[in-house]
Amino acid sequence: MNAKDSPLLGLLLLSLLTVQQATGQPILPAPTLTNLTLNGSQRVLRWTPFPAVQGYKVFSTADLRQPFTEDTSGVNNGFSWTGTNTGSARFFRLDTTPLDSNAIVTATALNRLAYGPTPALLDRFKTNSIDSYIAEQLAPETVTETVQNQHTNIAFFEGKLAPPATPVPLTNGTGPGSAIIGDLRAWFALRAVGADRQLLEVLTQFLENHFVTQYTKSLDYFQLYYGDFNMRSRVATELEYREITRWRNALMNPGVTFKDLLTISCESPAMIIYLDTVGSRGDGGRVPNENFSREIMELFSMGVDNGYDQTDITDMSHAWAGWTVDFVAPTEVFNPFATRLLATGGNSVSNVPGAWAFIFRTNYHGTSRSVFTNKFVPARFGAPWTTRTYANGTPGSYQLTFPVRTGTNTIQDGYDIIAHLADLPFTQEYMSVKLCRLLVHEDFAHGYDFTAPQLTPEAELVRQCMMAWETNMPRGQIRKVLDVIFKSDLFRSHTAAFAKVKTPFEYTVSAIRALRVSTDGTGLHGSWSSDTDGTSLATPMQRMGGMVLFDRAEPDGYPESGAGWISAGTLAERGRWTQSLLIASGQTGHNGSQNGTGNDAGNSVTSPVRLLFTRLPLVTDQQDTAKVADVFLGLLFPGEGAANLNLYRTAASTSSTPPMTARPRHPSARSPLARLRATTPMTRASAAWWRC
Amino acid sequence: MPFINTLNRRDFIQRSLLGGAGLGLAALTNVPPFAARALAEGTIGLSGKKLLFVFLRGGNDGLGSLVPVQDSAYSTSIRSTTLIARDGATDYAATPGVADFPTSPGLTGTFAYTSAIRLGNGFAALHPGLKFLAPVYNAGDLALIHRVGYPKQSRSHFDSQNYWENGLPNNNVSKEGILYRTIIESGLASTSPLSAVSIQSALPVLLRGSAAALTNLTDPLRYDLLGVPNSASTGDVKATNALLSAQSTPFPDKKSRAFLSLQYDGLLKTLSIFSSLNFTESGNTYVDDVNTDGGSNPYYLFPTSQAKNGGYAFNGNNTGKYVVDQSGTANSFFASLKAAALILNHTDAVIAGTEIGGFDTHDNQGGATGLHATLQQRIGWALYGLRKYFQIYGKSGSAPVTGAKCAWSDVVVVLLTEFGRTTIENTSRGTDHAEAGVMFLAGGGVKGTGKSGRLTGVVGCHPGGTGAHPSDSNAPWISGPANQAGGVDGSMFGISDRYLKRSVDYRSVLGEVIRDHLGATQNQLNRIIPGYANESQEHLLTGGTVTTPIESSGVSTPIIGEPDILG
Repeated sequence: MNAKDSPLLGLLLLSLLTVQQATGQPILPAPTLTNLTLNGSQRVLRWTPFPAVQGYKVFSTADLRQPFTEDTSGVNNGFSWTGTNTGSARFFRLDTTPLDSNAIVTATALNRLAYGPTPALLDRFKTNSIDSYIAEQLAPETVTETVQNQHTNIAFFEGKLAPPATPVPLTNGTGPGSAIIGDLRAWFALRAVGADRQLLEVLTQFLENHFVTQYTKSLDYFQLYYGDFNMRSRVATELEYREITRWRNALMNPGVTFKDLLTISCESPAMIIYLDTVGSRGDGGRVPNENFSREIMELFSMGVDNGYDQTDITDMSHAWAGWTVDFVAPTEVFNPFATRLLATGGNSVSNVPGAWAFIFRTNYHGTSRSVFTNKFVPARFGAPWTTRTYANGTPGSYQLTFPVRTGTNTIQDGYDIIAHLADLPFTQEYMSVKLCRLLVHEDFAHGYDFTAPQLTPEAELVRQCMMAWETNMPRGQIRKVLDVIFKSDLFRSHTAAFAKVKTPFEYTVSAIRALRVSTDGTGLHGSWSSDTDGTSLATPMQRMGGMVLFDRAEPDGYPESGAGWISAGTLAERGRWTQSLLIASGQTGHNGSQNGTGNDAGNSVTSPVRLLFTRLPLVTDQQDTAKVADVFLGLLFPGEGAANLNLYRTAASTSSTPPMTARPRHPSARSPLARLRATTPMTRASAAWWRC
Repeated sequence: MPFINTLNRRDFIQRSLLGGAGLGLAALTNVPPFAARALAEGTIGLSGKKLLFVFLRGGNDGLGSLVPVQDSAYSTSIRSTTLIARDGATDYAATPGVADFPTSPGLTGTFAYTSAIRLGNGFAALHPGLKFLAPVYNAGDLALIHRVGYPKQSRSHFDSQNYWENGLPNNNVSKEGILYRTIIESGLASTSPLSAVSIQSALPVLLRGSAAALTNLTDPLRYDLLGVPNSASTGDVKATNALLSAQSTPFPDKKSRAFLSLQYDGLLKTLSIFSSLNFTESGNTYVDDVNTDGGSNPYYLFPTSQAKNGGYAFNGNNTGKYVVDQSGTANSFFASLKAAALILNHTDAVIAGTEIGGFDTHDNQGGATGLHATLQQRIGWALYGLRKYFQIYGKSGSAPVTGAKCAWSDVVVVLLTEFGRTTIENTSRGTDHAEAGVMFLAGGGVKGTGKSGRLTGVVGCHPGGTGAHPSDSNAPWISGPANQAGGVDGSMFGISDRYLKRSVDYRSVLGEVIRDHLGATQNQLNRIIPGYANESQEHLLTGGTVTTPIESSGVSTPIIGEPDILG
């Protein structure tokens, strides 16, 4: 399909894929008629659209003492109904046929647990309950992963990301240890597009963004040690890859806790460099760097202004002093007391076998103190959080006092903090809020009074998440919390579907997924009606608001709110990319360099025609404009309700004229398929086409 | 509020019908523009006065920018590597009222002078990277305001940026911007397709709000729809029509949709306006009207590429002659800054701005050279270049562009940053988050040194007496805590307490600009910055001592109110 012939489809993809479907306010006012006009011989009723409606019906009666009956004397036209003005008064009311609940939850789940629906997933849950999908996604170890077969670039990148077998740690070329940051991004995007374990990919990105680190900061840091840009780029890339690999592995463990995930972040050399602990010293009365100490509380665990103050930041900064990085033997990469391989200061370490790792420097460590001194869990949390003990014997007190430690034992100060922060009520609250924002809608905040007699649905869900966190032992099991969210009314009800704005990553990946079927059913490379080489997503993501994976400069991670992503400029970019994606590769608008202005999509391509053939195998169907429109509307707007799509359906199947008023299709209009054929070559089965 | 957007959408349909085909700009409101405009008070947008903002993200080290060089505690005992050293040959106690401008003739490196630059008030000095502020300062077009903060100062980037942008200290729920409210008060949001613009990756909170979509351009050069291939003339029309079509179709109300729809409106309204401006690199022909920096060539005002970076290309590709670091970050910052300037000069937009990051110098901050110095160079040249751009190419300039709408006297440039940094250096040779910082204001209408008999353009960085700013007398010189290191009490530097206290509230500075420059009435200002409506406790207007409940209990802070820097 080509934007020229059906700009509306492009814009549908643009405007409506921009939002994810989901859940929300359980109660909306019932749909009502808002306007009645008498226009000569016509009687026109109008109403406001209502979410997830399959059909609008007008009922009427001449006498309120009599039952209303469906009034078939008029014609439904989107959100209006036109009948004959008979001259005699009648009473009208609107009736709706709702979408079935499984369809609603399916649309929500596939947009939240996954990077958007694919045609195959939508088919699968037309008749099956989506709950089986939710259950399997919660246990990724039970799902067979086939993504490696879907694109040859995945194996190619994994080859580069693999640890090198030879003593030379990081090499040029395409062998193990040769990956640079673009390779990691492309590999990450390809997995998001195709992975069967979608929730695992979603959560890995969530953790990567929550425990944000910055590739460029590592790159700069390693200038001290590597004169060669490519060398330090590979080193910095490997740190990012090591981090997400550890999270990914942790998430495969059914009992994974937040403490596990926080520990991985704290031990990550990328984090130690990013938030400046690497050069911090607290010994000899020195003033340690406060950056990590602040952000671990403000951003990674408790939430801003939530249970800590500057005193705690300063106190804690002493404990982190000594958490640094050094160059050690590859086998010692998880040993914080490993011997450094050489005096690295000012030395080039190129081509020396080894790896950069978290190393604890005892002599940098500050004098241990207590943190959260004399602080108590606020009453707003209520029991059990206010009544249980934390790191001392006094209920409700969360003062953490470090025992007197010496030598290498002082590393334990940091681990005490991790264990303590991981399950504080503040952390339970803030992380539950963040997960709800990720999976439900963005209007959650921390600071609720959980003891209030009447909690908002949002506060109630956060509290339930915290209860799951608190009461299942060991505390902080991520899957228990997710399970609460997925079973909640807020998640499962329709009323706030399309509640979230997609990030540029979610937007581009989900657009490709939405039109992506394996046209021969093999699931192999080259068979997909919509695909990307992975690499081509980086440029559009950058343009859609500066989203550069693994390279966020600010420690708050990329925004979770739509306002952080949407402005006129970024909408123009989203529109351009979508248009380019829908234009056949090689034609104007999808040709030339991706850095220029005429090829926004690059090696991300889609062929709606190939997709259509799999959905409508009969030629007669392919020539039926209404059926063609329904295919695409069904794929792009599951959960919207057919009746809410009528105007789009009419517009898409007639012309590009605005659907201000629905109009019958002109008999001479060519079928959309004919137009598609005229402009979209059936190309690109060749694997070579995809190679990066 | 359910369905409100549906009503908006219906309004939009009606307007579009009224306006006929295309964008229907004339029909953006059912009220005739002059009538709608007359409903608003004040003269925001009518006076031709404009505002250009740059947010310095990360917390600029104010003590490294506007250096209290005569402060007895300012020494290597608190800052070993980040100290900006004195020049032994300079008498910093002298009060000539003007700044030194160490120019670099011939092949002398642009930033060869590495000592603190005397500002002439007997106490303060400039970072040497800010040397290009000297001519701006000496023309009386620059105000440098030290010790700017707000009550219960947060040392979190994200909280503090939010407060600076929403104008509501300690309210981190509101994401409604102070400049957004300014535009709403002006009445322009409903009468003008373009009122405020940012050029950065996302619409900043400053310009965010629910009732109007102010415009953000991620890349001015790419701000169009791809259009339709092979049809340059009709492509955008078709794409625009498709957008209009999607926009005019009602939809069920959902949390994000009203917001999205509003932004699409903004897109549709502004596409054609921006396509008439030349944002290209080749269009960047703006140069100084004198030989810059004591050399023999006029430099480009916006260093958007290496060839346009200071004296580099004029001196045999000498990298020592750059006016800012030569980097993609610097080039793209100046491209955004140029776009903001062009928009103010060519369109009716009242507010334009951008941001620049990298100020979170926890680690290896550097002193006269290094990370922080690089950032200072960008700030210094930005203000120098903007002044020259409007003086030469602006309305009634020496070589005005066709249809120029903005003179240097029409614009105030304001630099914001969320906080200053600790007075004492940390062990990573950097500084951490602290409290009060520095604001920079430039413009033809700024009342700096030499204007109204003023001896200085520096506020809040003088202990009193000759060289002090008249506004400083509104609040006593705030002493730091007792100097435990044997220095002199009364310094700006706390030795046990590393946080500079404020004597100016950022809202007073912005308030003065919004009212006295942009033309808000005091009543409007009380709504734009609600703290103004509580003068008895906040003291934003005329100063006073702020105590509980505005401050934490036990804290009392004298502030000077508005700093009297305009007019």
